[in-house]
Amino acid sequence: MISLEAIKERLEGQFGSRLLDRADFRDEVTYAVAPGDWMEVLSFCRDDPQMAFDQLDCLVGDHLPERAAAPFQVVAHLVSHTHGQRLRIKTALAEDPTLPTVTNLWPSAGFDEREAWEMLGIAFEGHPDLRRLLTTEDFEGYPLRKDFPLRGTIGGRIRTELKGKI
Amino acid sequence: MGITGSALVNPFDRGIQATGEDSLGGPVRLPGGFAMPVQIERILGFGRSFSFWPLLFGLACCAIEMMALGGSRFDMSRFGMEAMRASPRQADGMIVAGWCSTKMAPRVVRLYEQIPDPKWVLAMGSCAISGNIWDTYGVVQGVDSLIPVDVYVPGCPPRPEALWQGLEMIRDRIKQSRHAYDGLRRIPARDALTGGTGEA
Repeated sequence: MISLEAIKERLEGQFGSRLLDRADFRDEVTYAVAPGDWMEVLSFCRDDPQMAFDQLDCLVGDHLPERAAAPFQVVAHLVSHTHGQRLRIKTALAEDPTLPTVTNLWPSAGFDEREAWEMLGIAFEGHPDLRRLLTTEDFEGYPLRKDFPLRGTIGGRIRTELKGKI
Repeated sequence: MGITGSALVNPFDRGIQATGEDSLGGPVRLPGGFAMPVQIERILGFGRSFSFWPLLFGLACCAIEMMALGGSRFDMSRFGMEAMRASPRQADGMIVAGWCSTKMAPRVVRLYEQIPDPKWVLAMGSCAISGNIWDTYGVVQGVDSLIPVDVYVPGCPPRPEALWQGLEMIRDRIKQSRHAYDGLRRIPARDALTGGTGEA
């Protein structure tokens, strides 16, 4: 078992100023990284024996239109069963966001990345199966973006061409 | 003309909107020229009303109240409704319990079409009736835009007693051989599927 302080030390010693921001809240810690460092930081978190974050708890996307330069962000919530610790890594993305997939690190990222792509339009490069998950396959638009209309059946429709589909 | 597209005439589908007991007058014509007396139809309806088997089908939180009605406290098996069939081929109707998403909509239509005639549909809860507060991209604004609905039970969710009353209304309709598809003949989704001809 390694304390959260040691994990912070280890990560900051490894990446230094490439960790753009750190937020401590209620004994949990969140780091911000650049999109270019996303893959490297997450690989290190999983593979380094002092980190050993073996589970991707969830991977979520956000739309923050008040941040004009980087309105999107993706947050990876990591759990280490070896050390009993949690860690969040987040990255800010500009319009037309793309990010490398982490399905090769944690296969469970597949569903989370599909949902983030479907709901927010964040494309994950290299994802093996980037299909719509919750909406119909001909749905247009990204419903969890803040500029998506709150009311009305916009973007989707009831599919009636049933034969062979279900 | 049955929903199944079979050549057999559905003896209960006479193309009129039944309005009450009086509309039951006259024999029902069966294939081959056989006329079934209306008394037999009433006896059949009386029997059916005591063994209405709904489809085991819950969409959302209303299904919890539906389960409560099936449980021992409210006990809908008193009325021969406890056998909720997992296969639509064995069911007499469906209780649409909960909100229906646009992704679920074709499945709901398909399950409805798989239930053999005669069949009755109960829309349970505000979401199934109108979409409730979810006037959004993902929710069908009332399942009656998909399938003909016999009885609407409002509530969010309705109490089991309310669903019970709705099922009693279904039983009345069974006894009177009244169906939501009487006089409708077509359902919107099927028309969209077949281009309005009504034939699959």
